[in-house]
Amino acid sequence: MPRDKTGLLHGSLDLIVLRTLSVQAMHGYAITQHVARLTDGVLTADPGSLYPALERLKRNGWITAKWQQSPTGRRARYYAITRSGLKQLGRETNEFERFVDAMRRVLRAT
Amino acid sequence: MSDDRAPRWRRYLGLVRRNVPADVDDELSFHIQSRVERNLALGMSPHEARRDAIARFGDVALVRSALVRHDEREQAAERRAEYVADFAQDLRIGWRAPRRTPAFTITAALTLALGIGANTAIFSVLDAVVLQPLPYAHPDRLVTLGRGSSGEYLALRDRLRTISDLAEWDATTDPVDDGRDALRMTGVAVTPNLLPLLGARPMLGRGFTPNDGAVGGGHVLLLSYVTWRREFGGARDVVGRTVRLEGLPYAIIGVMPPTFRYPDAGVQYWMPYVIDTRNTGLRWGVGGKTFVGRLAPNATLAQARREVRTAWPSLRTANPLWDPGPEYGRFATVTPLKADLVAASAPLLWMLFGATVLVLLIACVNVANLLLARATARERELAVRAALGGGRGRLVRQLVTEGLLLSALGAAVGVALAGVTVRALAGTVPAALPRGNMISVRGTALLFALAVTVATGIVFSVVPAIRATGVAARSSGSMLGRRGWGSRSHARVSGWLVGGEIALAVVLVAAALLLVRSFDALRSIAPGFDPAHVVAARISAPAATYAPGSARLASFYTDVLDRTRAMPGVESAALVNQLSLAEPVWAQAIRVEGQFENVKHTLPMVDHFQTVTPGYFAAMGIPVLRGRPFTDDDRAGQPLVAVVSQSVARRFWPNGDAIGRRIGYPFDSPWITVVGVVPDTKQDSLRDTSTTSIYMPWAQRTNMVSTELWLVTRTRVEPGSAGAAIRRIVHEIDRGVPVSDVRTMDDVVSRSVVGARFTAALVAVFALVALALGAVGIFGMMSYVVTERRHEMGLRMALGASANGIVKLIMGRALRLVAIGTVAGLACAIVAMQPLSHWLYGVSPTDPVTLAGVAILFGSVALLASYLPARRAARASPAAVMRNAAVGSGP
Repeated sequence: MPRDKTGLLHGSLDLIVLRTLSVQAMHGYAITQHVARLTDGVLTADPGSLYPALERLKRNGWITAKWQQSPTGRRARYYAITRSGLKQLGRETNEFERFVDAMRRVLRAT
Repeated sequence: MSDDRAPRWRRYLGLVRRNVPADVDDELSFHIQSRVERNLALGMSPHEARRDAIARFGDVALVRSALVRHDEREQAAERRAEYVADFAQDLRIGWRAPRRTPAFTITAALTLALGIGANTAIFSVLDAVVLQPLPYAHPDRLVTLGRGSSGEYLALRDRLRTISDLAEWDATTDPVDDGRDALRMTGVAVTPNLLPLLGARPMLGRGFTPNDGAVGGGHVLLLSYVTWRREFGGARDVVGRTVRLEGLPYAIIGVMPPTFRYPDAGVQYWMPYVIDTRNTGLRWGVGGKTFVGRLAPNATLAQARREVRTAWPSLRTANPLWDPGPEYGRFATVTPLKADLVAASAPLLWMLFGATVLVLLIACVNVANLLLARATARERELAVRAALGGGRGRLVRQLVTEGLLLSALGAAVGVALAGVTVRALAGTVPAALPRGNMISVRGTALLFALAVTVATGIVFSVVPAIRATGVAARSSGSMLGRRGWGSRSHARVSGWLVGGEIALAVVLVAAALLLVRSFDALRSIAPGFDPAHVVAARISAPAATYAPGSARLASFYTDVLDRTRAMPGVESAALVNQLSLAEPVWAQAIRVEGQFENVKHTLPMVDHFQTVTPGYFAAMGIPVLRGRPFTDDDRAGQPLVAVVSQSVARRFWPNGDAIGRRIGYPFDSPWITVVGVVPDTKQDSLRDTSTTSIYMPWAQRTNMVSTELWLVTRTRVEPGSAGAAIRRIVHEIDRGVPVSDVRTMDDVVSRSVVGARFTAALVAVFALVALALGAVGIFGMMSYVVTERRHEMGLRMALGASANGIVKLIMGRALRLVAIGTVAGLACAIVAMQPLSHWLYGVSPTDPVTLAGVAILFGSVALLASYLPARRAARASPAAVMRNAAVGSGP
């Protein structure tokens, strides 16, 4: 199976980040924690891929970034999903579900 | 994204932009720190917690550099977008500003229009004449070998290996009769290979074939485009028609395209040059043919030069007529054709271009000064904008944009101006400029104008912008305060600018004065004859009808002379083969009895040789100093006689009388006895320093080649009607003989200096513009100084200074400034005038009278231009000024 260096299916990191941020705005570290917790550690958002992905999403206008005080009182960059980010999330979710559905059918047919 | 900014404290560190690496570091270290904290909560030791956090993160440095790079790219894009937006804003503001102050805008734009217009006009001419390649095939391979005889041409053509093809041509003028009118036309006889060599093809009909250049052929013509349109109405069936040239039928075989004007724009037709190889005398004895060649594919110019330098001298032994001497061919060289064609006009055009660059610089300085003064008025606006967060660079850019707008406005007017003047310019100087009437403002010239416009806009606005924004930034803290210490140094910068401007203007005015003075000197040279009341006309008897040396030719011209002399008011009339100052009067080699007799050796040359009819000296007003003039008895069959000019007498017989001495043609022929001595006259130009002239009676001239003569008539009748009468007389005798160039001798003389007049007039116009701009500059600056210092003036007057004292103070300041500028300018002028000496006559480039005149002129201008502002300062009521100052109402 084609896995990129994140250990994730290609293109799924964007989907994961957008879905995560659609719950609430959070900083980069919180995103990695959130993903690890949800998937019991099966999927990890590796920082080396996560931060470039965040920049990429920001450039596409799907998320915005903002410096804020974290609960611990430190300066942290918070990311939030935008309206067009939500639309993108819907599109990518559909794509992904069609893909999974197709895979499932292929696997069952044997 | 505007809130995605560094925290406030970082901005105050003076970083206008986001600090990308720091932001990335913050974000990554936050990530790691959060993990460390979590690990600590899980019970790890601090050291372990940190090690685990970093391990989980992966390669920090890699991520960091990727993010930094990415972020910076993004910022650069933002900056570009911002820059474009800023520029658009600057344009909007810049567009509003000039409309608020129309007087300033119009003054500045017109000043720039003058500068840019003059530059574009002269550059257009320079570009078309000097810079553009010749409109021929591979023009950079075309060369000329200079001039020589057909014998030399044939020998060189066969011998040279570095020249793939060699052609020769010779100018010719002939009476042409197309059946309706008899005209004298100017053409070129070319070897048939010349047109293919240049890569030129007729637009109508065919070109020359080798047969056309063979003996027995050659009776064919190619018309120039202009002649085709003007004389043949552009008829397409002109090919195949026959015209009579020198009375012989010639078939028109084609028409050349309008772009083909070789060797110059005045050529009306091309005919084949027929080299008669049996006629040794004509082949080797008559030089003056121009050789044009094309470099062989692998040959360089240097190789060709080397080859010609050995090949030409080796022809010394080939000359069957005489030994041309040991110096023969030594100075032969190969010149690129273009360099040869523009050699006469290029230095002049570069000089004129230099003059217009000075004008433009002066215009720039003037506008810079205006901007400087205006910046003072806008100080508050700028201070407000600075306080609102416009950085200094941003404000400078705003002001430079305004400058660019201003120069664009000036350029629009200037290029329009140039378009008009170039047409006029091209019309006035066709003779001096090889490609004269192809000139217009287009292509390269427009690009040049654009470049000049941008450069100008930046040059004149940068200094004021930097100064103005500097002041604005300083005073932004107390923007409601009155203008502070900035204005004094404004005045100083302005002073420097005006001083520089004066220096530039001095250079131009000095150049103009020198040129005008040398034109004056040229004009006042006595030509050695008396041009007043003399009318000249060229009469071109066709050689086929009037064979050279024939009785028919003699009787025709005798008839013309008799009828002319019979006209009322005519005092004397005579004929001459080549008219002084109207065309080159040819040189001639002579034998001198007892001194130079061997025709096989190099013989001395006299500079000018004319054949004249009796009465010539009387008609031209040349006094006979010794001996006698020619009489009707000096005719064929009688003893041969000659009249010589003083220089000839002095050269060959310094210790005795020339009368009775004998000279001869440069071949074995009877001796000719000198019977009279006349003063030297100017023959080729007023600057002519070659003074030796010999005159022969036309009736005794043996080797007569041309049947064309000039009729000179001294008459009390008004020249216009005399000219008309002469035309009528000739046409009554033979309708087929063209009469051309009917003009007074005064006109001939002034036409001979038309180039010098043109140059002097053009530079004088530039100088006047420069002077006017300089005066405006002084006036503007002194007005500004007076406004700035009126508190001080008021104070001085309150303390008892007289109005006179104030006037003196102000004018003294202007005078001091101009004095410095003038001295600097004169120093520059002395250096800059050295290359000018080529155009000067009778006045040295460092002529003290001229330079002193310039200094006095600029002194007077300074006084005049500063008088009004000084008066204004002196009239100010001290009380009012002081009251104003106390209230602090500002400007």
